[in-house]
Amino acid sequence: MKPPFWTRYLILSTICALVALGVIIQMVRIQNIPGAKEIMAQSELYAGVKETIYPSRGNIYDRSGYLLAGNETTYEVGLDLFQIVDPETIATVTTTILGLDYTETLVYARNLPGENARYYIVLTDFVSSDKIEQLNILKEEYANRPKQKNEVRPSLAGLVWNAHTKRSYPEGDLASNLIGFFGFLDRKEGHGFFGVEEAYNDLLTGTPKEIYMASDPQLVEALPEIPAGASLVLTIDREIQAMAEAVLENSVKWSGAEAGTIIISDPRDGAILAMATTPRLDPNEYWEYDKIFPKPTPFNRAVSKSYEPGSVFKVITMAAALDRGIVEPDTLFYDPGYIEVGGSYIYNWNGGAWGNQDMTGCMQHSLNVCLAWIATELGEKDFYRYIEDFGFNRNTGIDVAGEIHWPLRVPGDNQWFEVDLGTNSFGQGIAVTPIQMVMAISALANEGKMMAPHIVKSMIINNHQYEINPVVVGTPIKAETAETITHMLAVSLLEESSSALVNGYEIAGKTGTAEIPTEFGYTNETTNTSFVGWGPTDNPQFLVYIWLEKPSISIWGSDVAAPVFQEIVQNLVILLDIPPDAVRQNLTTK
Amino acid sequence: MKNHLLQAYRQAPWRVQLQWIGLFLLGLVLISFVAGVYLNISGRAAAAGRQIQVMENRIGILKREINDLATQLASITSAEQMRSRVKNTNLHQMDPNLALYIKVPGYQPRTSVVLAPPPNANMIEKPLLQPQYTTSLWDWFVDNIWAAPDKPINIDIKVNP
Repeated sequence: MKPPFWTRYLILSTICALVALGVIIQMVRIQNIPGAKEIMAQSELYAGVKETIYPSRGNIYDRSGYLLAGNETTYEVGLDLFQIVDPETIATVTTTILGLDYTETLVYARNLPGENARYYIVLTDFVSSDKIEQLNILKEEYANRPKQKNEVRPSLAGLVWNAHTKRSYPEGDLASNLIGFFGFLDRKEGHGFFGVEEAYNDLLTGTPKEIYMASDPQLVEALPEIPAGASLVLTIDREIQAMAEAVLENSVKWSGAEAGTIIISDPRDGAILAMATTPRLDPNEYWEYDKIFPKPTPFNRAVSKSYEPGSVFKVITMAAALDRGIVEPDTLFYDPGYIEVGGSYIYNWNGGAWGNQDMTGCMQHSLNVCLAWIATELGEKDFYRYIEDFGFNRNTGIDVAGEIHWPLRVPGDNQWFEVDLGTNSFGQGIAVTPIQMVMAISALANEGKMMAPHIVKSMIINNHQYEINPVVVGTPIKAETAETITHMLAVSLLEESSSALVNGYEIAGKTGTAEIPTEFGYTNETTNTSFVGWGPTDNPQFLVYIWLEKPSISIWGSDVAAPVFQEIVQNLVILLDIPPDAVRQNLTTK
Repeated sequence: MKNHLLQAYRQAPWRVQLQWIGLFLLGLVLISFVAGVYLNISGRAAAAGRQIQVMENRIGILKREINDLATQLASITSAEQMRSRVKNTNLHQMDPNLALYIKVPGYQPRTSVVLAPPPNANMIEKPLLQPQYTTSLWDWFVDNIWAAPDKPINIDIKVNP
């Protein structure tokens, strides 16, 4: 027996089944119609967007936390063609406030959406917040202005702006030679040039990530954590850097030098406290590069330009000879005014004969003959072994881009002649960069341990600060040798009443005056003047290297570079809180 | 009266129809209830999703503003600006010969700046969004109702002295 209402149920069920079947058939049919793929593709456009997130570039700080390179907000201004109602007002306002071309903007603003497949047109980029504020006020004012009868209300609808960041250097050209710059005008492919911006480009940039952002709130997921690029804390001190740059600028002007370089380092760990060179570029306007650095001007002479250093190199020769035990401070040398090495004669800077001199006297009077004799006594093999131990045959590895070194000519090379042993001993016929000199001489100021020069003190990665440990790159001389030569150079400075002396502080140092090689041989009309010094001698805390190129006021390092050293150190001891020797010794003995 | 007559019992058709309708309505109410709960939960999840989008956008804006303000601050306290302020306020660098040095017990000379904590070996990676915000009602049922008996029971006993 059939249940009651069976027929009714059967009819109802059949109708429902047929409707369901119809729906399924229609679903299958829609999936397979010719335009199905197009519809699916179009639907995916609305489902969400894929976007590449570029992490913000890491900041660069000095050792005290002052920001040297950061990011500021700037705006891209464009036209949303769907929204434009008043092209003339847009053209007028952008011409007045942003300085854009009226006709060009008007043509853009009159484009219909979709014309030439364009819906959005970029008018300009890197607009400052002030100008955007002006646009915003006008836009709101127009939008809220009461409309009078028969009046056409002006409108900035369709004029849109999007914020983004751009690299900014709040200190201007301060330390720009070692920071470098970031090519921020290229928003996608921009990268760092020179200095730490180039050397640490990958770390500063971080890792861009492509993400999918669903429009359906049900499918929204937390954006993956995209850490900002690593930030760097440099070893340089803003105040010392500013002081060094100011002194350098004045010195170049005063001496009539073509260019100059000053490096201040801490010999105990190789940290560079300041590195000033000329010329300098404001990295906020890096497009001026070609104008400021016509070829072949290097961006950072301290690491990218080699030169024959002259007599400052004598400290290396003397240190090698003392370390090898060839001479002692009181070893006597009779200076006849010349010496023959490899068939060539070498003379003193003044062409004079200085008679009996001990080694301190040789350094004090900067006697080429004496140093050439020391080199010959040391012998080729040991002399060049020491030179290599001091790192003159390679880059120092300092963490800024663009470091070079001039290949060292050694016995056996085609270009090496026997006379080179003599000339190299007093810094001629050998080319070095200032940073190579700083690294080598740090061994003399640091108990024989040569520290790797470095600019980056620590890195901040994923909100954690990683300190970078100083590296000993070699021990070319013994600690006793370092102490001996420091004492000798302190005495020689004192006895010659050098203009490098600083009241209250015992300093070790050496001047350098180098002839410049040209196509026609050496010229002594123009010279490279240098000075290297470190102190306080009982506990060296700074090492200062100065190089002034082709000064016109005098050709001598003692006249040009030594007073600059004095000025630097007078300021440096205040900035580093180093009391005069007597006070310091008194305080420590209490 | 040996023959007992059994009275055939049968529901009246209108009553049977009413029962069927009642059962159908009960099912409908149950389904509506579940659908309502599901709709409520998914509506709230969608609202939370939108809030996440808004907040992440806000985070981006705030980070950019912080960067911008830090850069502005650095600009107005740059070495050049400070030098000109020093000049305007008639200050000058001290004469080192006039400096008086005294020994201060316990004084720590300035050290290098610490802008972030050092790395910690016990850093634990935690997901930003808790699973509760992404679990569907179905997943919740599977995890907490069906699979619950299989899960070990954690009893957190705190002993207070």
